[in-house]
Amino acid sequence: MSRALYTAAPPRTVWESINPLRMIGELSETRYWMYLLLLPSALLITAVVLYPTLYGFQMSFREMRLNRPDVGTDWVFFKHYIRMVNDPIFWLSLRNTAIWVTSSIALEFLIGLTAALALNRNLPGTKLLAVLILLPYFLPNVVAGHMWGLMLDPRLGVINDLLMRVGLLDGYKAWFADPKTAMAAAIIVESWHSFPFFTLLIMAGLKGIPADLYKAADIDGAGPLAQLRLITLPMLKTIIAAAVILRVIGLVNSPDLLLILTSGGPGRSTQVLSLYAFQMAYKDFNFGYAGALSVVMFVLLMGFAWIYVRLSKVNED
Amino acid sequence: MATLSIKGVRKSFGSLEVLKNIDIELEDGGFLVLLGPSGCGKSTLLSIIAGLEPSSGGDVTIGERNVNNVHPKDRNIAMVFQSYALYPTMSVRRNIGFGLEMRKMPTPERDAAVKKAADLLQIEHLLERKPGQLSGGQRQRVAMGRAIVRDPDLFLFDEPLSNLDAKLRVEMRTEIKRLHDRLGTTIVYVTHDQIEAMTLGTKVAVMRNGVIQQFADPQIIYEQPANVFVAAFIGSPTTNFLNGTLEATNGLLSLRHGGGSLDLGGLQQDVGAFVGRPVVAGIRPETLQVAETGVSGTVEVVEPTGPDTMVILNVGGQMLTARLGSRDRPKLGQAMTLSVDARAVNLFDPDSGDRI
Amino acid sequence: MTTRFGRRSILQMGGGLLAASALLPRYAFAQAKTINYWHTFTSQSEQAGLDAVRALFTAAHPDITVIPENIPNPEFMAKITAAVVANTRPSVTMVSSERFQDLRAMGALTDITDRVSGWERRGDFDDSRFASITDDGKVYGVPAFTFVDWIYYRKDWFEEAGIAVPTTLAELHDAAVKLTDPAKGRYGFGLRGGPGGQNPVINMMEAFGSPVLHADGTIGLDRDKAIEGVTFYASLLKDGAAPPSAPNDGFRQIIEGFQTGQTAMIYHHTGSYQDIASKLKPGVEFGTMAIPAGPVTRVARLAYAYNTITKPEDADAAWEWIKFWGEPDAAVAFLEKTGYFPASTVAAQDQRIVGNPMYAAAAETLGFGIPQPSFPGAAGWAESTVLPAFQRVLIGDATPEQAVDEMIAGLAEASQ
Repeated sequence: MSRALYTAAPPRTVWESINPLRMIGELSETRYWMYLLLLPSALLITAVVLYPTLYGFQMSFREMRLNRPDVGTDWVFFKHYIRMVNDPIFWLSLRNTAIWVTSSIALEFLIGLTAALALNRNLPGTKLLAVLILLPYFLPNVVAGHMWGLMLDPRLGVINDLLMRVGLLDGYKAWFADPKTAMAAAIIVESWHSFPFFTLLIMAGLKGIPADLYKAADIDGAGPLAQLRLITLPMLKTIIAAAVILRVIGLVNSPDLLLILTSGGPGRSTQVLSLYAFQMAYKDFNFGYAGALSVVMFVLLMGFAWIYVRLSKVNED
Repeated sequence: MATLSIKGVRKSFGSLEVLKNIDIELEDGGFLVLLGPSGCGKSTLLSIIAGLEPSSGGDVTIGERNVNNVHPKDRNIAMVFQSYALYPTMSVRRNIGFGLEMRKMPTPERDAAVKKAADLLQIEHLLERKPGQLSGGQRQRVAMGRAIVRDPDLFLFDEPLSNLDAKLRVEMRTEIKRLHDRLGTTIVYVTHDQIEAMTLGTKVAVMRNGVIQQFADPQIIYEQPANVFVAAFIGSPTTNFLNGTLEATNGLLSLRHGGGSLDLGGLQQDVGAFVGRPVVAGIRPETLQVAETGVSGTVEVVEPTGPDTMVILNVGGQMLTARLGSRDRPKLGQAMTLSVDARAVNLFDPDSGDRI
Repeated sequence: MTTRFGRRSILQMGGGLLAASALLPRYAFAQAKTINYWHTFTSQSEQAGLDAVRALFTAAHPDITVIPENIPNPEFMAKITAAVVANTRPSVTMVSSERFQDLRAMGALTDITDRVSGWERRGDFDDSRFASITDDGKVYGVPAFTFVDWIYYRKDWFEEAGIAVPTTLAELHDAAVKLTDPAKGRYGFGLRGGPGGQNPVINMMEAFGSPVLHADGTIGLDRDKAIEGVTFYASLLKDGAAPPSAPNDGFRQIIEGFQTGQTAMIYHHTGSYQDIASKLKPGVEFGTMAIPAGPVTRVARLAYAYNTITKPEDADAAWEWIKFWGEPDAAVAFLEKTGYFPASTVAAQDQRIVGNPMYAAAAETLGFGIPQPSFPGAAGWAESTVLPAFQRVLIGDATPEQAVDEMIAGLAEASQ
């Protein structure tokens, strides 16, 4: 090998070899760079997600009653899970959770899709309307809950008043006091609050659908409904799937709206799992059983997400 | 198959008029090319023909039927888009058959029609794929398959080749020509590419700013451009424009220009009224030949392209491009004389830009 | 506690020490002291009462700043539990009697037995006032004010109908039925079946002979008597004497229902007096009565709100603040803004109270009132078992028998 083929690189000065910018620059060319960039978020996730999750897991296998130091904190293995199988309130909560989550999401999706399709027309004023329509989502759950609690109030609520004036109601209706309407009313409030989430995501998705497709479909003879079913919805599949998963997780995990509207009542007719776990922890101070309930929710959600992604074939193309 | 008649079609967006009084008649089985630079209104006109956009006035008649208020799906037309507009979530088979599916054609007949179209376009092996798995040329074929499967009265092509690379574009151009010859369907074809216009069209409408500049056979458009714009738009390199004064000596016409006088014997125009007045002579680069007499100047630029050599000559301050043989390689700064075939020269009125 | 959260508390202590060492030099030179005070006051009148007490305190102790932090009642236990576990405790926390055992058990409260016994105003208080903040001989708080259960009633409606003020629960039921007129939108009794409605249920069971906590300290319900109590209480709705919204009506709804003339009676305590008096004329439109007697006992609760020291580091300044509530001026100022009765016997004899006939029912109740049943798990059982079970009776989803069985099972679970 002839040395003449290589022109010797000029020797590095001391500064060059310790220049941090240069060192970072060189590092960024290597494949370790990716891991380095991921490190902070990985640490953060470990600290605020992984550790509490694992802590919750181990808690579910222990006795942990904050107001009963006398019973200790021993391992009890599957005691809480066995109790759960025999706990009618757990099964009721599970059933209510299913109703609560599926109905809310179905309604939110329908309203959200309709709003997004309407706003996507780019007619004059849609920009302003888009902002207005998104407003409910910016309200915290607590505020939305109290606001609707007042609006649906049997005596002072504006809704009863309106329905009576229109003649749809004969007398004042206590929406949250009747198990037949409590869940439905709560679902409507939840849908009102969260449909903009679907609107927002679907609008973003609609922007990605080329206008030519609709022109082609017009010429091909597909009417508005066929276009929605055969073009729009299939092309929004991934976004809808992601939105549904996020909403399911959100709805299964957060008890706040129901806590405000009904506290699970009347007579547990709106009791859902998250509310039950919350009450178990913060009213009964039974963190062990509450932990077990949370673990079951976690497992159910994981299972749901897995099956759902499979079924909706979002990762197919 | 049908004729197409466009009468007095206008289109405006607010105060902006993008189409002004368009008149076009196309015979049954004709191939009309709407040619023009971007923004000239050609795509808008196509959309109006398709019914995708309402016109602001005028009539569109396909065959014997006025389609002004007819929905696109009922115009019995098919369209190929620049973006191809294939439905990404459907297989090629369903894409091609979609129009038939929407028209409730029974599955066996539909499959047969799809197969026939796929055969014609040699895309049978792609039928089960999704558009995302196809190359640009394949998508183009699928888009055409979707159009022909319906056996429409009218094909509409909106710049269908502009997303393809140069080689594929030439190939598909030939394909479209072959299809037209074979199917004989009336076609309206939008492009900004003059070669496509010249090779494909039986009629070309050159458009600019919403106005048809010339509507004629490609050959007429090339040989007798209606105005300076058409002359400049058609042909590559573009037509040379030599400013000068028209003179008549003993009945012989000539153009007096800054670099001398050009003999216009054999001119195909009646220009008597312009004798003694300034005119613009349009001279195509390919009609210039190295010769002893003609226009003289010095060589400013030499551009060999392989088969040809482009030479830019400074003629008394006006630049003249000549397309010469590959062997003609003059030196820069060298004096040169080029002969002009007066039969191929067009004279334009410098005020209006129109052909005299 | 230390064995339970050993590893964590060591870590927290480490962090706490670090933070403390950074802050110490500044505190050494600081004259003024700031303490934060967690309370569950929500209504305007309660806020006004707190402001009045604070103004008096600032005048007396200019060196101590009290920063009140409002913790909504429904979230209170979650917040304080989290604060205790994460050791981000407030200096002083308001604790109601029924929460004492839970908080003491989780180690949230500081033993202040010595401070209380050395307090110059200790003699102003009856020993019973300290009973529900004392455990195993140790005192954990100072009573701030008293919740005296009573009933607000529409004096004008009663007079119009010629009905006497009920002295037994049976009479209360009759009066409620008689005063009900759905055509006028009037209901006899504003039944609280929603959030916070658990205590009257427990009281009714006890009035019919089934206390939860027995004199010997054992816990349990007498099934038959409890069923009678639940049956009676639910009959107010079954007989149409309570608004149909009762199963979801909480504090706000029953107060508003009464204020706006839709109910003739509501069961609450003295704390809402000023709120009611802001809408209805005392002594003319509405009156107050002591809780009527049940078939077995008369159950009216005397509950106390205590102020407790939850952060031992701030104990000195915190002690000044919590004992200040025992000053007659502070107690009367608070009463005048809210209606909450003083806990101090001396303050309760103030002319401003004794001279007001509207407080007579409360004064009477002080004589026979009894404390809330308090044991670890009591609050949770009441809220998450008794209330839903009773709601199920109200909405016809369960019989009183089934509801009481559910309560008994829940009680066994809570106290196992």
